[in-house]
Amino acid sequence: MEGKETQEIQVTWVGYAALIFAIVFFSGIFASSKDWTQVFDFSVLNGSFGKIEGAKSFFTFRGAGGTGARDGFMFSLELFPAVIFALGVISVVDGLGGLRAAQKLMTPILKPLLGIPGACGLALIANLQSTDAAAGMTKELVQSGQITDDERTVFATYQISASATITNYFSSGAALFSYILVPIIVPLAVMLVFKVLGANAIRLYLQWARKKTVASGLQAGK
Amino acid sequence: MVRKSLADVFVDGARKGWNIGVGNIVPNVLMAYAIIQVLRVTGLLDILGKVFAPVMAVFGLPGEAIMVLVSAWLSMGGGVGVAASLLAAGKLTGTHVTILLPAIILMGAQIQYMGRCLGTAGVQTRFYPVLFGISIINALIAMLIMRFFA
Repeated sequence: MEGKETQEIQVTWVGYAALIFAIVFFSGIFASSKDWTQVFDFSVLNGSFGKIEGAKSFFTFRGAGGTGARDGFMFSLELFPAVIFALGVISVVDGLGGLRAAQKLMTPILKPLLGIPGACGLALIANLQSTDAAAGMTKELVQSGQITDDERTVFATYQISASATITNYFSSGAALFSYILVPIIVPLAVMLVFKVLGANAIRLYLQWARKKTVASGLQAGK
Repeated sequence: MVRKSLADVFVDGARKGWNIGVGNIVPNVLMAYAIIQVLRVTGLLDILGKVFAPVMAVFGLPGEAIMVLVSAWLSMGGGVGVAASLLAAGKLTGTHVTILLPAIILMGAQIQYMGRCLGTAGVQTRFYPVLFGISIINALIAMLIMRFFA
């Protein structure tokens, strides 16, 4: 089993199961279910802070009516559990091979989707978690001749918009989860769609720029 | 190599979350709240709100929301902090935040990523403005789309 260097990514059924679990868990599908199935929801397991009984109403430890840096500090403390919990879960999903499963599913559609070769699959998935890891891998892909300079530009456009999507969404973005009116998977899906659309915008731009250069070259030749 | 148990893997990730909290969230959110406090005390927040009201109205947002986008461009945590602070001040509602959330991340932290993403990957510098432009356009169109969900 070990020592065999193959291009093929090995994904077990556990990996696929972990990926499906992650999608369901963060999607909020079970958020409003009343029976035991709500155990499959991130927000439900994240729970809520206890309330402090006041003279007239109940407050969380943040209190009410604070302002400025002090209120900002108390507010950011409220965000800690969601971030710690979410990154813990994502780490487990990754450990079980969930992200590799996502990569395997993505690889065949990279060429039609972004016009970049399947070799970019790992960096593409890595970019959902870490800006730096993906950028490093992209540099490697160019240096080893697996992608061209134009493909790098297209790929970098995919990467820079909403970079480290999952990590940022579940850390910074988590601050707003309790206020948004849609399941938390909706904004995530919208972001992923726009990452791809943005990359295709520059893909068209590069094609147009290349045609223009060729055309002006031909005219100059006349 | 010792195989880590799932509990260890969870704790490793959770520790990363704690470090992000201490290293990024607290400083960024605190800064955002302090900036909003400056804008509020000086009255600039209301002025900004009025000036940008017509533009932001296109996206179904009040004028003050421009602050969320500007700070997001510099730092995602900052953008989220400003949004939260404006929510607390009653300037934004849940609907507004729903529209803003994907935009904050799509156009977020571009200055940082210039080095960390484009610089590291070695993208030609002449493309930088186009790439930033695309991120911002992504965010703007995403806000229009989110209006249908919110």
